[in-house]
Amino acid sequence: MNILIVGAGQVGYFLCERLSMEGHEVTLVDRDLDNLNAAQDRLNVLGIHGNGASAETMEQAGIKQADIVMAVTDLDEVNILVCLLAREYGVNKRIARVTSIDYLSRGAVLSKDKLGIDLMINPDDAVADELSNLAGRAGTFDVAEFVGGEIQFLGYRISSDSPLCDLTLKELGEIRGMYRFVVVAIMRHGQTIIPRGDDTIQVGDSIFIFAHKEELPAIQYMLQIHEETKRGAQKAFILGGGRIGLRVARNLEERNFHVRLVERDPVRCEKLSAKLKKTMVIHAEGTDIRVLLDEGVANADVFIAATENDETNILCSLLCKHHGTQRTLSLVTRPEFLDLAPSLGVDACVSPRLSAAGAILKFVRRGNVISMATIEGSNSEVLEIEVKRDSAIVNTPLKELSFPRGAIIGAIVHEKNYEIPDGENCLKAGDRVLVFALPEALAKVERFFE
Amino acid sequence: MNITLTMRILGALLLFLAIALLVPVPFAWIYGDGGAGAFFLAAIIAAGCGGLLFSQFQSEADLSVREGFAVVTFGWTFFALFGALPFVFSGAIPSFVDAFFETMSGFTTTGSTILTDIEAMPPSLLLWRSLTQWLGGMGIIVLSLAILPMLGVGGMQLFKAEVPGPTADRLKPRIQDTAKLLWGVYVLLTVAEVLLLMAGGMSFFDGINHAFTTMATGGFSTRNASIAAYDSAYIDWIVTLFMFLAGVNFSLHYLALRGRIGDFLRNEEFLFYTGLALVGTLLVVLLNMGTIYNGFFDNLRFSAFQVVSIMTTTGFGTADYELWPVLCQYLLVFSMFIGGCAGSTGGGIKVARILLLFKHAQVQLFRLIHPRAVRLVKLGDRPVDKDVMQSILGFFALFMGVFVAASFLMAAIGMDLPSAGAAVIATLSNIGPGLGSVGPVDNFAHVPAPGKLVLTFCMLLGRLELFTVLVLVFPSFWRK
Repeated sequence: MNILIVGAGQVGYFLCERLSMEGHEVTLVDRDLDNLNAAQDRLNVLGIHGNGASAETMEQAGIKQADIVMAVTDLDEVNILVCLLAREYGVNKRIARVTSIDYLSRGAVLSKDKLGIDLMINPDDAVADELSNLAGRAGTFDVAEFVGGEIQFLGYRISSDSPLCDLTLKELGEIRGMYRFVVVAIMRHGQTIIPRGDDTIQVGDSIFIFAHKEELPAIQYMLQIHEETKRGAQKAFILGGGRIGLRVARNLEERNFHVRLVERDPVRCEKLSAKLKKTMVIHAEGTDIRVLLDEGVANADVFIAATENDETNILCSLLCKHHGTQRTLSLVTRPEFLDLAPSLGVDACVSPRLSAAGAILKFVRRGNVISMATIEGSNSEVLEIEVKRDSAIVNTPLKELSFPRGAIIGAIVHEKNYEIPDGENCLKAGDRVLVFALPEALAKVERFFE
Repeated sequence: MNITLTMRILGALLLFLAIALLVPVPFAWIYGDGGAGAFFLAAIIAAGCGGLLFSQFQSEADLSVREGFAVVTFGWTFFALFGALPFVFSGAIPSFVDAFFETMSGFTTTGSTILTDIEAMPPSLLLWRSLTQWLGGMGIIVLSLAILPMLGVGGMQLFKAEVPGPTADRLKPRIQDTAKLLWGVYVLLTVAEVLLLMAGGMSFFDGINHAFTTMATGGFSTRNASIAAYDSAYIDWIVTLFMFLAGVNFSLHYLALRGRIGDFLRNEEFLFYTGLALVGTLLVVLLNMGTIYNGFFDNLRFSAFQVVSIMTTTGFGTADYELWPVLCQYLLVFSMFIGGCAGSTGGGIKVARILLLFKHAQVQLFRLIHPRAVRLVKLGDRPVDKDVMQSILGFFALFMGVFVAASFLMAAIGMDLPSAGAAVIATLSNIGPGLGSVGPVDNFAHVPAPGKLVLTFCMLLGRLELFTVLVLVFPSFWRK
């Protein structure tokens, strides 16, 4: 496909990387020559220097031939203008990064239909929601929800005291009678493998599972992750009262957490205090650990670092972990840090670009992909696919089909019933299938379901 | 201070009062009570003085904050002075100090009276008493704003100086329109009450008098026994309902009439006010159980009436609460300080201020435990401006200061302790009846003249919420 991306920031760069790797023709437009050159040098894309909201630049970038336009600059107005332009040029799919509630809210006067935008993404809100989801799922470092939240895709780290340690998947399968879930992938030393029956789970692994949301308490119990047997609500600390911090605080308030939000700007503190209902807003530097200890960070269930600064986030997370906070989650924007943080002891790192990219990449996939998620630190994807009526795979047992290597079916949802797939299962038209796929198998999986 | 402009506006206000003084004249003719002459004479004097001021002082200047305070304070004083004339001229109240007390009690919607036999008064003068309360309830200056075009510029100063509560709501961009809307709602509710009271068997004359004084949370009655004279549960409940409504912010009534009834439930002050009324009634009912009233419904009827009457600072009576248990009296005295909602016709400290004071105290306590936490005082979901919070703290200090000073003076004049304190809070909160020698079945006739003047000043301070009057005491206010 011919893809035009406007804005060479974190999100834009990541999209270029992914899409060019998948073999699409990508053209990148940015006003900043340095950013543009950096992308051109490292990635297989064409860079055009200029303003994305100008028709001249866009014609130069080949907007007439483009199949998809993605406007992901920091400015809402520029992104909207790019999409309006793209509509005039007859581009089929138009995607814009928009942060203002003026455009995002359901009753917006200038709705996305009127602006000619097919998909509006908001990386900040998406990452805030992801942080809140992680905060609510003890023990996980990655969470994604599918089929309207029914099926959960969860990532766990295996420590030396984990009961799963040194078990083979076959042995795990024997206790699966009680616990209905599927291990679809193991990440070990930066490599992702799809495990077979004789593979063992080892210390330091990260495992990814699919499970129905109703099975979660049982699974948490099995993994000996004690979902707060303490009395009362869970206690959360949030560092940084920016857009992301505010949204996380709101989300956690709704889930009845005791929230403390730490922000260093006194004026911003007052604004936050006005906007939030139950959250306690604290005026302090994140590294001022005494203030945090006075406020009880040592007993906190989760510490979420969401400032704009990666170093601050990672350092403060480590500091709190050192003082006894149960879990620490950190917002990390720079890709180089993403892989580093877990080995230091931060429980999970989340990056805005991945959250945004997940939503965007879905659009590039073929029509029957309903939603998808990307996995941190690996280029694997989780796809939610609807089985089409005229598909050749319908009503044949799975073992008789040649399912692509490097991919695995994690769950089948048949008319609201959740099934753990095995070789005897037959797919029916309208079923939702959840597939975990390594990057090299992506294209094959898409073809398989066509 | 622009004295020329102040004088000119005061002149205009007096001309306006002259018109108001003519309203009871038709009643004087109908009832043949001989009061018409007194009203004509008073109207001529008011018009003469007003006309003189208005024509002699010419000023093109705009109204500033300072003139706003002066106009409102002196305006109200002039109203009471000139409004007292019919009582004196007709001979109904021979002493001018008494007449001044009675009129100020009227305009400030206090409802304290020096009359020992109300039913002996000519009907036209009774109507004038009630009318002063009705005009004072929603505010004479606010009414003038709605009617007089000359007060357009700088009208917000006058509006803020007169409307009770820590902040004044602006319903429309133009202040005149806001004033018209508020008065419109006020008239509508008054008419509704007149009709409902007449349906309960009251005469038109009594209905209109009582509706005037209920909606103003005033409390003047045409009967010696107040509302108890009708001995009707229906009338008691209607009056209770309208007293309660009059104690609510009129902006909320306006929004409700526009179909936004849900705003009542989203207004924290209203919810707190309702809660106070309910809890107060419940406690008084429990304490009165089995001692005074035998039936539950009689108990509820009388308890609810007294609680709402005192809390909204109306001051009607259907029972002598001095016969109730001491704890009940304590609760009533306590509610005297609270008063109605901001933007209502009720007096007192106001529910919003009390609510915010407690929230402020809570935040202070909280900050002792969490010194670095940032927490704002909020009303509803909106944070309260720091300036507003400070003015509330100042108001509370002044209110208590005035209360202590005035009750000291009353004690010095020779009143006993409970009566002195109750007389001051009854006038300062614009309620009417107090305790002891000024209780619900007594009156203020026996208070010596200096004491009456002190209480009169308390009424003015209470109605104009202290600041408006007390700024005039500062010498720097008068400098150019």
